[in-house]
Amino acid sequence: MNKTSIKDSIAFKNREGNEKIFKYIFLSAALISVISVIAIIVFVFGKGIRPFFGDDAYSFTNFITGLRWAPSDNEFGIFYMIAGSLLSTLGAIVLGVPVGLLTAVYIAELAPKKIEAILRPAIELLAGIPSVIFGVFGLGIIVPIIKDISPQQSGQSMLAVILVLTMMILPTIISLSLSSIRAIPKSYKDASYGLGASKIQTIFKCILPAAKSGILAAVVLGIGRAIGETTAVMMVAGNNSGGIPLSIWDKTRPLTSNVAMEMGYASGQHQELLFSTGVVLFIFIMVINYVLIKITSKVGSEGEKR
Amino acid sequence: MTSNRSSRKIKDNIAKILIYIATSITILTLLVILGFVFYRGLPGINREFLTRMWDDKTTIVTVEKDINNLENKSLNYVPSLGIYIDLQDGNVVITGVEKKSPALNALNKKGEIYRIKKSDIIERVKKIDLREATSLDEAITAIEGEDTSLDLKIRRPGGGILPMVISTLLIIVITLVVALPIGVGAAIYLNEYARPGKVLRVIRFAIQNLAGIPSIIYGLFGMLFFVQFLKMQYSVLAGSLTLSIMLLPTIISTTEETLKEVPNSYRQGSYGLGATKIQTITRVILPSALPGILVAIILSIGRIVGESAALIWTAGTVAQVPRALFGSGAAAATLTTKMFWEIQEASNIDTATSIAVVLIVLVVLLNLFSKLITNKFLKRTGTGK
Repeated sequence: MNKTSIKDSIAFKNREGNEKIFKYIFLSAALISVISVIAIIVFVFGKGIRPFFGDDAYSFTNFITGLRWAPSDNEFGIFYMIAGSLLSTLGAIVLGVPVGLLTAVYIAELAPKKIEAILRPAIELLAGIPSVIFGVFGLGIIVPIIKDISPQQSGQSMLAVILVLTMMILPTIISLSLSSIRAIPKSYKDASYGLGASKIQTIFKCILPAAKSGILAAVVLGIGRAIGETTAVMMVAGNNSGGIPLSIWDKTRPLTSNVAMEMGYASGQHQELLFSTGVVLFIFIMVINYVLIKITSKVGSEGEKR
Repeated sequence: MTSNRSSRKIKDNIAKILIYIATSITILTLLVILGFVFYRGLPGINREFLTRMWDDKTTIVTVEKDINNLENKSLNYVPSLGIYIDLQDGNVVITGVEKKSPALNALNKKGEIYRIKKSDIIERVKKIDLREATSLDEAITAIEGEDTSLDLKIRRPGGGILPMVISTLLIIVITLVVALPIGVGAAIYLNEYARPGKVLRVIRFAIQNLAGIPSIIYGLFGMLFFVQFLKMQYSVLAGSLTLSIMLLPTIISTTEETLKEVPNSYRQGSYGLGATKIQTITRVILPSALPGILVAIILSIGRIVGESAALIWTAGTVAQVPRALFGSGAAAATLTTKMFWEIQEASNIDTATSIAVVLIVLVVLLNLFSKLITNKFLKRTGTGK
C-alpha cells in the first residue's frame, strides 16, 4: 500500500465526520453575520439609551424634540438635526433621482456602443471615489460658490449638503436603475413598437413603468446612502448649534455630522448622547432597510413570474 | 392626425433633451471633481511627498570619522564624513552620501545603526548649533575638528505620506485575512449547504441589514466593542476588525454570485468521480469561482481605501507606522482618514487634495484590475459553454 492509498482509506473512514465538521464550519461563518448584527444593535443601543435612565437621566422628550445642541449648557436637542437629515436627503433625492434615472435611460436605450463603453467605467469611477473627496470638493468648490450667491454669510449650508449628497447617490441610482431597465424582457419593447409607439414613448410609457420596483429600490438605497453619509456632509454642513433649517441657505447639522463632530473629545453623558443620536439614525436606517428588503424580495418574485 | 404626430415629436424631443442634459450633468460631475482634485492636488505631488514620513524626526547620532580620507575638503564636501552638504533656507542639508561614508554606520543613542541619508538636515555638531549657520564653511569647520568621533543632531524632514500608505496596506491585509475566509465560507454555506427555512431566512436578513448600516454606525460599534470592551485601544487591529464586519455583505454576495454561476454539471461530475462534498467544494467549485473571489477582494480593497467614518474612532488618526497591532502605539491613520483630518483639523485643502490624487489613482487602478479579471473570466466561460 502506498502512501496516498493509506491516506485515502483513513480519509474514507473519517469522511462522514469530516463532512459534518465542514458543514458546521461553513455554517458558523454564515452565522457571524447574524452575531455581528445582534452585537452592533446590543452595543450601540445599550450605550445610546443609557442617558435616559437612572438618577441623572436626561429627558428623552427634550432630547428628541429639542431645537438646540449646546453641551456646555447641558442642552441636547436633536429635533433640528432630524429635520436637517431628512430635508437634505429629500433634496438629494429630488435632484439625484431624475438625473440618475435619465442617465440610466440614456445608457440603456439611446447611447451608441462606443459612448456606453466610456460612460459605464466613468460611472463606476464616480461610485469608487471616496466620500472624503466629495467633501473636499464640496468645501473647495461648492461652498465658495454658494457663499457668493447666498443671501447669508456662510457658504456652508443645506444646499451644499444637498449638492454633495446628490453627486454621491448618482452612481447608486444609475447602476441600480440601469440593471432594472436592462432586466425588462425585449418582448415588452417589441409589443410597444408594434403598437406604433415611438422610442421615447416606449421608454416612458412601457419600460420605466415595468422597471418601477427596481427603480424604487434604487431610490430607497439612495435614501439610505444619503441619510447615513458622514464625513463629506460634515465638511459642508456648517453644523449649527440650533434651529431647524428653514431655507436651503441655512446651515444644518445632520445626525451623522453630530455624532462625528464631537465623538473625539466628548465624555460621560455627552458622549452617551452622541450614541443616542447614532441610535436615532440607526432606527431610520432600519426602517429604510426593511422597506428595501420588502421591495427587493418583491422584485425577485416578479422576476420569477416572468 | 398630423397635429398629433407633431405634438408627439415635440414631446419626444423635449424628453430627449432632458435625457441628454441629465447625462451631461452626471459626466460633468465626474469631470469637475477630477479636475478640481488634480488641479489643486498635483502640484503637491513629488517624490518626497510619496516617500517621506509625515512628521520630522530628530535623532542624535554618533559617527566615527574617517581620518584616512585624504581628499581635500572643498566648498561643499566634508571628507572625514564622506558627505556633500549645502545650505538651503538656513539649513545645512546633506545633498549626497558617498558609498564608503562613515555616516552610513552612524549609531543612535540606543546603539543601533541609523543610516544618514540624502536630504537629512544637520542641526548640531557637538555643541555647535548649525540651525543659524550663515555659511557652509561654519559647518565644515565644525565637523572637521580634531576628535575622531562626532555627535550629530540629525533632522529627517517629513511632509510625506509614507506612514499612511503603510498603514493602509496593513489594514487591507488584516481585514482581508479576517473577512475573506468568513465571507467565502458563508457564501459556500448559503449556496452549497443551506436548505430553505428559518435559518437561511435569518442569515439572509442579517446580511441585508449589515449591507445597509452606514459606516458611522460601524465606527461607533467598533469603538465600543473592539477599542473599549476588548481593550484594543485605537489600533490597526480594531480598525481592521470593524471593517471586516462591514465588508462581509460585499464579499458574501459577490462570492455567492459566482458560486451560482458554477454549472451544476461540475458538481455532478465531481460526485460521479466519487469525490466527497468537501472535495468537490475545495477542488472544483472554489477554483472555478476564483475570479469572482478576486473581484470581491478588489471591491473590498476599494472600500477600505475609501473608508473614513468607520476608521476614525477605531484606528485613530495618528500619522505613524504602527508599532503594534493593538494596544499603545498601534493607532494609525490611513490615507483617507488622514485626508479627512487634514481638512477637519488643519483646514489644509492643498495637502488633502494631494492625498486625494493618490486615492483616485488607486481607485482607477482597482477598477481597471477588476475589469480585467471579469473580462478574462467572461471570455473563459464564454468559450466553455
